[in-house]
Amino acid sequence: MRARDPRLQQHLAREYVLGTLSGRVRRRVQTLLRTEPGLRDAVTEWEQRLTPLAGALPEMAPPARVWEAVQLRLGHRVPAAGWWNSVALWRGSAAVSALAALVLAIVLLAPAPVPPTMMVVVMEDLQSQAPAMTVAWEPGPQAPRRLRVRVIGHAEMAPDTAWELWMLPGNDQPPVSLGLITTHEEQTVMVPASLALKLDAAWGLAMSVEPSGGSPSGAPTGPVLYAGQCVKA
Amino acid sequence: MADPSLGELLARCALNDQQAFAALYRACAPKLFAVAVRITRRRDWAEDVLQESFVNIWHHAGGYDAAKSAPMTWMTTIVRNRALDWLRRPRETADDDYDSRVAALADDRPGPEEAFIRSTDAGKLARCLQELTEDQRRSITLAFFYGLSHGELASQVDRPLGTVKTWIRRGLERLKQCMEQTETK
Repeated sequence: MRARDPRLQQHLAREYVLGTLSGRVRRRVQTLLRTEPGLRDAVTEWEQRLTPLAGALPEMAPPARVWEAVQLRLGHRVPAAGWWNSVALWRGSAAVSALAALVLAIVLLAPAPVPPTMMVVVMEDLQSQAPAMTVAWEPGPQAPRRLRVRVIGHAEMAPDTAWELWMLPGNDQPPVSLGLITTHEEQTVMVPASLALKLDAAWGLAMSVEPSGGSPSGAPTGPVLYAGQCVKA
Repeated sequence: MADPSLGELLARCALNDQQAFAALYRACAPKLFAVAVRITRRRDWAEDVLQESFVNIWHHAGGYDAAKSAPMTWMTTIVRNRALDWLRRPRETADDDYDSRVAALADDRPGPEEAFIRSTDAGKLARCLQELTEDQRRSITLAFFYGLSHGELASQVDRPLGTVKTWIRRGLERLKQCMEQTETK
């Protein structure tokens, strides 16, 4: 088989590691790497040779939101301080309070004699730190939960990707999928009875970009774009 | 005692130690972010690449083999692969960012490779890079730092594709030979 030719393997390995291959050839090499130990060894050797070059670059501090997103993705210790402070939910920021009130007003358009307690989440765009999505639902013993999701502004979804909504239970527990959402301004997500009580007690919600059809692993795999903390309103 | 080594932190990550992971991030993220920014040429893309890479590092810390590579080499490889996969991802439309990416290269003088080659502790890689012709060295370092494909490189240095491919092939062969000689000395 041609792929076992050592000269070809050397060629593919060094160009793969240097990064000069086109996307099509690059993906072909990645497929071969799974089955060709000779190619794998050659790639490892070239990585050892060339990668120390990266030490020449001056360091650049990444913004704190990268670390926070990593922790959210892994379901690690939910940050005690950090990005969600900037949401200013607890500091009574006028803008966010007004937004939460607005969400509540929309949710409560059908007047009820006694306004029930609502759970409201203002999810912010982790890049721009602007409110990007709101989610609201009525907690309580009844099930399932009907989540009212509102996408703020005109968000765009890249082709062949999906948006997946996650519940962040907190207390070091991993995120739980609540299903896929769209970019539509208003939509409803039904959460089954089995997750309802956990959702009422959740620390927050997050939205990640996944392959179309949703995360193949059951855990967030794509970048987390939006996240926010649950508050009782 | 000195701070724990990166290898030790990686080993602790494999045992689910979140504090070790945080220390690893603090120690390495600025170096790795620089790699991602240089290749993607966009900070927002680089942030996604860094996020993906650290999720990956956590999940695969158990597979890190200290006998095969240094911790920083292992992590840098993860970041470079993520960044390159992102740049070379299948797209339906032409890459509008390509021109601006390449145009921005002209501003980077002197290149980071100059500093690397001048630095005294860079070892045999730096010594062997000096043995290449200028064309070979420049095309290899441009490709490495900026994630340029053969085609992008050819238009960047304004030479035919075949010429650039030959510079790289001969340059890398020479580099390998030189580094192996240094090893056996």
